[in-house]
Amino acid sequence: MAGVSFEAASKVYGDGTRALDKLDLTIEDGEFMVLVGPSGCGKTTALRMVAGLEEISEGVVKIGDRVVNGLSPKNRDIAMVFQSYALYPHLSVHDNIAFALKIKKVPKAEIRRRVDEAARILDLEPHLKRKPRSLSGGQRQRVAMGRAIVRQPQAFLMDEPLSNLDAKLRVQMRADIKKIQGDLGVTTIYVTHDQVEAMTMGHRVAVMRKGELQQVADPIELYNRPLNMFVGGFIGSPAMNMLDARVERRNGSFEIVVGDVRIPLDETKVAQHPGLSAYKGGRIVLGIRPESLEDAALAGEGNGPRLRGQAELREALGSEMLMHFTIAASPAVTNEVRELAEDVGDDRALGQLAEGPSARASLVGRFSPQTQIREGESIEVAVDARALHFFDVDSGLAV
Amino acid sequence: MEATRTRGLRVPRGAPFVLPYLPFLIVFGIAPTIYALDLAFTNAGGGWVGFHNFVRAYDDFRFVPAFKHILIYTIVWLGALMVFVVGLALLLHGRATRVSATYRFLFYIPGALAGAAAVVIWLFMLDPTVSPGSFLLRHVLGASIFAQSIAPGNLPYIFAMIAFWTGAGGWIVVMYGALNTIPPDLEEAARIDGAGPFTIAFRLKLPLIRKWIAYMLILSFATGTQLFVEPEIVQHASFGLVPDTWSPNQLAYQQAFRYADFNVAAAIAVDLLLIGLLGAVLIVSRSGLFRAED
Amino acid sequence: MGVRLLGLGARMAILLVFAIFFVAPILWLVLAPTKSDHALVTSSPFSFGSFHNVGLAWRHLDAYSDHLYRRWIANTLVYSLSATAITLAISIPAGYGLALGKFPGRKLILSLTLVVMIMPAASLVLPIFLELNALHLIGSVFSVILPFSFFPFGVYLAYIYYATSIPPELLDAARVDGCGEWLTFRRVALPLAKPVVALVFFFSFVSNWNNFFLPYVVLADSNQYPITVGLSNLLASTPSFNPAVGGGGQTTNIFKPELALATLVAVIPVAIVFLFSQRALVRGTLGGSVKQ
Repeated sequence: MAGVSFEAASKVYGDGTRALDKLDLTIEDGEFMVLVGPSGCGKTTALRMVAGLEEISEGVVKIGDRVVNGLSPKNRDIAMVFQSYALYPHLSVHDNIAFALKIKKVPKAEIRRRVDEAARILDLEPHLKRKPRSLSGGQRQRVAMGRAIVRQPQAFLMDEPLSNLDAKLRVQMRADIKKIQGDLGVTTIYVTHDQVEAMTMGHRVAVMRKGELQQVADPIELYNRPLNMFVGGFIGSPAMNMLDARVERRNGSFEIVVGDVRIPLDETKVAQHPGLSAYKGGRIVLGIRPESLEDAALAGEGNGPRLRGQAELREALGSEMLMHFTIAASPAVTNEVRELAEDVGDDRALGQLAEGPSARASLVGRFSPQTQIREGESIEVAVDARALHFFDVDSGLAV
Repeated sequence: MEATRTRGLRVPRGAPFVLPYLPFLIVFGIAPTIYALDLAFTNAGGGWVGFHNFVRAYDDFRFVPAFKHILIYTIVWLGALMVFVVGLALLLHGRATRVSATYRFLFYIPGALAGAAAVVIWLFMLDPTVSPGSFLLRHVLGASIFAQSIAPGNLPYIFAMIAFWTGAGGWIVVMYGALNTIPPDLEEAARIDGAGPFTIAFRLKLPLIRKWIAYMLILSFATGTQLFVEPEIVQHASFGLVPDTWSPNQLAYQQAFRYADFNVAAAIAVDLLLIGLLGAVLIVSRSGLFRAED
Repeated sequence: MGVRLLGLGARMAILLVFAIFFVAPILWLVLAPTKSDHALVTSSPFSFGSFHNVGLAWRHLDAYSDHLYRRWIANTLVYSLSATAITLAISIPAGYGLALGKFPGRKLILSLTLVVMIMPAASLVLPIFLELNALHLIGSVFSVILPFSFFPFGVYLAYIYYATSIPPELLDAARVDGCGEWLTFRRVALPLAKPVVALVFFFSFVSNWNNFFLPYVVLADSNQYPITVGLSNLLASTPSFNPAVGGGGQTTNIFKPELALATLVAVIPVAIVFLFSQRALVRGTLGGSVKQ
């Protein structure tokens, strides 16, 4: 049982590419840490460096108080669950789980006890004699978990273990893994590209991008106070709407001008963003989460700021209505936005970004399921001014 | 804290597993080649003689005929491979699988008997007195006794037939496998477009297995030129009719063991080596053999 | 419709003709020892004689030069099996290291293996003889067994197999589970290599058994001959094909039936290995080419 820490850890390839750039991250003993980010962000590289499957080019990785640079995987006392499960095809479920214990020459009675226990926890008892090829995806995943649990290691490393499962199974396994980790209390590093998994499973989540750590915090903090535009846009689905806006001071209070709409900010809000005054009269990126938008007709109090726009597309989820609409304002066009759109495969947004600053921005809002809005209508959208996010146009940092 | 360079893995991964194989690769693959080259360019005392040995080999009255024999043999053999192997593979493809598999098995059986045994069997087949094909021998070759069957003019064809008998089965299996890589949709599309079986075979399937046919021909060419077993054994059974220097390899063998002229023998061996090497490099460079990489 | 039937008939006919071409000589060979030398000439090629004749033929064959034939068969077994054993021991790990390892010179060794593999073995026989001569190995059984053990095709098969069938993640899992490089091979990579071991065994054994040129060149003592060279020796001593023999006072009773029997028995071990390996062979040869 031990924590894991990265100290200025980097991975540099022969041609100079830095897959991981000076990562500083400390994972507490017993913590469930999720590394999340788009592909190529370095999360898997970092994980494999802890496992000893990837050489550490610079810096130090510690497990507990031990520096593990240069230690081969078998000497690190860690267990890993692979994306493809990597079960030994020639061994039965029982032997797969017992494999590492046999290698370490653990006494037979002890092996039997531990394997039975793991099988019980994971509901694998009826399958112990079967071979991996006759198992379903979910069963194979559990065998991979069993193989890790039975080791009683200092840390669990999981590399996108759920990505090969279908959606419903994924939801169920998410809960199972979280519960097991909680019961066993083993330090866990979990890599995924799915931000929903990250938010629901981790004690803390580390968002990574292009080899660099963007922000590490618990899920709520990450959601409410993203440190930069990338984190803001990556966490939350549908993604945060990013708009080109201006900060203006009028009559002693701040206003955000987006398109032809002026959104006044109350004192509490201004106090939360002390850096805003530096942007007086200047451009800023305004971030609005879909959750902060609502059909004005259902929003209640008539005084809140309103956006006027054109409804384009409705997606009825039953529990809510996702409304895609456009307003007379410019979308923010920055590298982060482009990268986020690429990562999600949002071709439409990419096409729009390619056109450059345009007169209309597309937004998504999460409206109440009772909304009567039809596609093509002109609409009024209520904005929750207390939940706005601001980012610097050039650096992307939160203001 | 200053970034520290870590020590890499001590032993390059996988190297120890290759180590036991290396001495064999060197001693029986690389060294003989180099040794042969060395001998070909030096004389019995070890002194450098340039291309002298090659000239001497060429001047031997048996050298050119030997290569002529080999050339005819190779052309006939390659022709047979091209026409019959590809033809049979095409015929078998698209048939009911079990029937096809039985035929392929039958064609393959002689392949297990390569070498001396195959030659001996064919010696019997070429003896009109006992052969089941005596009718063919009498009317196609005009032979009523064994000596006539193995008349010098017939030899390249006989050797080609023996090589075909043992080698065709294996290549038919390979061609059949290659044909199986053609997506069945293509064939269906062609059939819908009105193509008959001949058209499909020659204009659709054949071009798609071009690569495999090329490999087969190149490999067989390189192997064919090295012919030794068949002519050597037939020579033992031939009342001295068949010379013991019919093929270049036999000539090299005689140079080495009858005349103890290892240098000329090496020169001939190098000639043959170069032909073999050419074939090898051609295949490897146009390769699908590296396919497993990446 | 008539045209199609005609086409079908023609197809059947061609396949049948070739099937006969490939199989008839073997059938003849199997039946030949049952007939006497005289009967071979006079009766139908595919008639069955008697088992008595087979026994007779065997007695003659065995008597040749004091059970020399038995020694040839034994030699061939020893050469083939020992060489194949060595081949398996060096080629399977080599294929593994080349496929899944990472070390300087890997690509070079692979290329050299491929080139040497495609180069006809016969082109190297004379240089190998000269080399063995320089090493004073001529005359020992190792002059046959060691060259036989070098089987680059085996290394290639193992390489292809490992490169395509073992995901590197599986080896990573073994390493994380506590295996060093050797244990990873022994406990994960090797058990999974059964198909390719069977394939390499088959090709290596058959190639060794049928090899003529190398033993012909390096062995002088007829007691050391493998069966391939022995057959050519028999051939030179039978009056059937070589009338010079049988005159000088030595009586060898080696005639056509004996020769046929000798060939048949020489073929049997390979045929057995062949039949057993059939399934692995077809699957392996078609391996990457057949769509599942």
